[in-house]
Amino acid sequence: MIVLVGLNHKTAPLAVRERLFAGCQDLADLPADLLSQGGVREAMYLSTCNRVELLASVEEDSGAETALTDYLARRGALRREEAESCLFLYRDEEAIRHLFRVTSSLDSLVMGEAQILGQVKDAYRQALAKNATGVALNRLLHRAFRTAKRVRTETGIAANPVSVSFAAVELAKKIFGTLAGKKLLVIGAGEMAELTCTHLVGNGAEEITVANRSAAQGTALAEKFHGRAVSLAALDEALGDADIVISSTGAPSYIVTEAMASRCLRKRKNRLLFFIDIAVPRDIDPAVDALENVFLYNIDDLQGIVDENIKNRRREALRAEAIVTEEVANYLNWLRELEAVPTIVSLRSKADGIVRRELEKAGYWLTGLPEDDREKVEALVHGIVNKILHAPMAVMKEESAEFASQDIVAAVRQLFRLDD
Amino acid sequence: MTDLEFLLFVPACVCVGAATGGYLLSLIVKKVQVARVSTWILTAGFVFLTLGLILAAFSAQGWGGFGSRHLLSVYAWAVSGLYLALQFKTRTRVLGAFIAPVILVFLIVAAGQGSEKNLIPPAWQGWLTVAHLVLAIAGEALFVLASAAGAMFILQNRLIKHKKTGSMIRFLPSLSDLDRINHIGLLGGFVLLTLGMVGGSVYAAFVWEGTWASDPKVIWTFSVWAVYGILLHQRLAIGWRGVRMAILSGTVFLLFAVSALVIRFCLPTIHSFI
Repeated sequence: MIVLVGLNHKTAPLAVRERLFAGCQDLADLPADLLSQGGVREAMYLSTCNRVELLASVEEDSGAETALTDYLARRGALRREEAESCLFLYRDEEAIRHLFRVTSSLDSLVMGEAQILGQVKDAYRQALAKNATGVALNRLLHRAFRTAKRVRTETGIAANPVSVSFAAVELAKKIFGTLAGKKLLVIGAGEMAELTCTHLVGNGAEEITVANRSAAQGTALAEKFHGRAVSLAALDEALGDADIVISSTGAPSYIVTEAMASRCLRKRKNRLLFFIDIAVPRDIDPAVDALENVFLYNIDDLQGIVDENIKNRRREALRAEAIVTEEVANYLNWLRELEAVPTIVSLRSKADGIVRRELEKAGYWLTGLPEDDREKVEALVHGIVNKILHAPMAVMKEESAEFASQDIVAAVRQLFRLDD
Repeated sequence: MTDLEFLLFVPACVCVGAATGGYLLSLIVKKVQVARVSTWILTAGFVFLTLGLILAAFSAQGWGGFGSRHLLSVYAWAVSGLYLALQFKTRTRVLGAFIAPVILVFLIVAAGQGSEKNLIPPAWQGWLTVAHLVLAIAGEALFVLASAAGAMFILQNRLIKHKKTGSMIRFLPSLSDLDRINHIGLLGGFVLLTLGMVGGSVYAAFVWEGTWASDPKVIWTFSVWAVYGILLHQRLAIGWRGVRMAILSGTVFLLFAVSALVIRFCLPTIHSFI
């Protein structure tokens, strides 16, 4: 049986998640520790800032689920009521579905984010390195990765940015094509401007200039990006050189007026210019947007893009859920077939043993035959046995896929005396 | 047109038609993959067209013996060749949605033309006439490319300006790429058209010695050439670019195309073979 125990950002507050995260981080050999719990055959644990979850293949009716739940509660020093309200326990289909949803980023705080897949892969690698996984979890994790890949390629869940700074980067790319070599001017040294600047630089933008009222703050930000700091008095000149302007000062009136933008356009021979105004109140005169080859996006415009993209992701999530359902069904089929496999193997080996022994008994007259004829007789015997066994083996496989193999498997074991 | 030429012309038309449909579909479904497949189909059409023209050149013993259908096919060939060459440098597959219909129109008009040879009077045939024609056609093909990029620039510029940041904005190429193609098209087209006009003038002045200067096509082409020259000057010296350049270059090209048709069919001109 597959079980999944854990907590995440939906079930537990940050303080509880922190405690459990720290409790699990301390343990160097956590997979081995998990395997030492009664009834646990295979196990791995996933720990990120938003979730701590244990995935295990356990023996039926062994009490392993309770053992794993208690184990997590101990590691996080959770009080009884905390454990009851924060920890969830999923079995079989629910557990598999949850894992597939987590890996496909359908359960993430920011739906569609790419980081979680890498985190699950890392967790799996760690368990693999400690020999804590076996046939059930190996197959399950590979199915989970496959599901995540299908969700990313077949739906648009990760297609559009869902943060203001990423939305600004995407827009800049639609204006300039590539950001390589593009010059950035940052007006004000706020956190949001810094974050947007980081994303733009990460995408190739170069030559950062920071214009700030406070020279010390401006220099500090400029140094972070190996750029230069200028005073607000030199803004006119700095505007002429920049391709992308990010503004986030706390100024009560416009820092960049239409006249300033017009002057700088003449200086730069009308090369495209992108203003990102994330200040409230606004720093850049809205009239600037009417100028040719100038594009102005304020915080509401960018937030509008983000909201629209979030709506799109939600729509795409419905398609992703359908993929998850399909993949869960595929995995369950495989798991159920597994129930009949030991009996099929036993039946096959018993039949092969009988054939071998009977051929040995018939050895005295078989050796008198020419080699060709002897081979034909052996092939005939094998063929007859295969034909007889084909139907019961096929029925066992089919029934196991329909959840109904237990009685048939028991009957086959009794009829062929496989347990003797 | 020989049977073999016809066998190559038909699949070329089918491929360009299919590519046009594919490109337009890509605009509707907003999938670059569809535009990418259409580019391969257009490439196949270009190969058929190339083989057909090579065959025609052999059977007509040179370009001088080409008929109207051939010359219009050369236009289609030049536009598609330049567009496909551009695809090696930029990732602007979607631009095909504006280029492929133009190529298809050239081929449809070509299909309706006579395929008889020697429309260029035999007395005028020679390497200078061929150079004049090839350079002028290549120049005009580059203007087609510039206009298509300009039209797409206007569309993308409008979407970004009006904050309509849906899937269309992501699907269309960046403004910078489109502006660059518009500029390269205008610059290259202007240079080639200039050389083509010089070739024609030299031929007319020294070989033919006819009254070419009063020909309406010559006068009109010279006017258009001058306007393109002014546009280029404004871009390089003053910095006219972006949406203004896209609108102006597109308007000039439309006027050029419409007047070329009017001159060809309504006015007496020595260029009646095209």
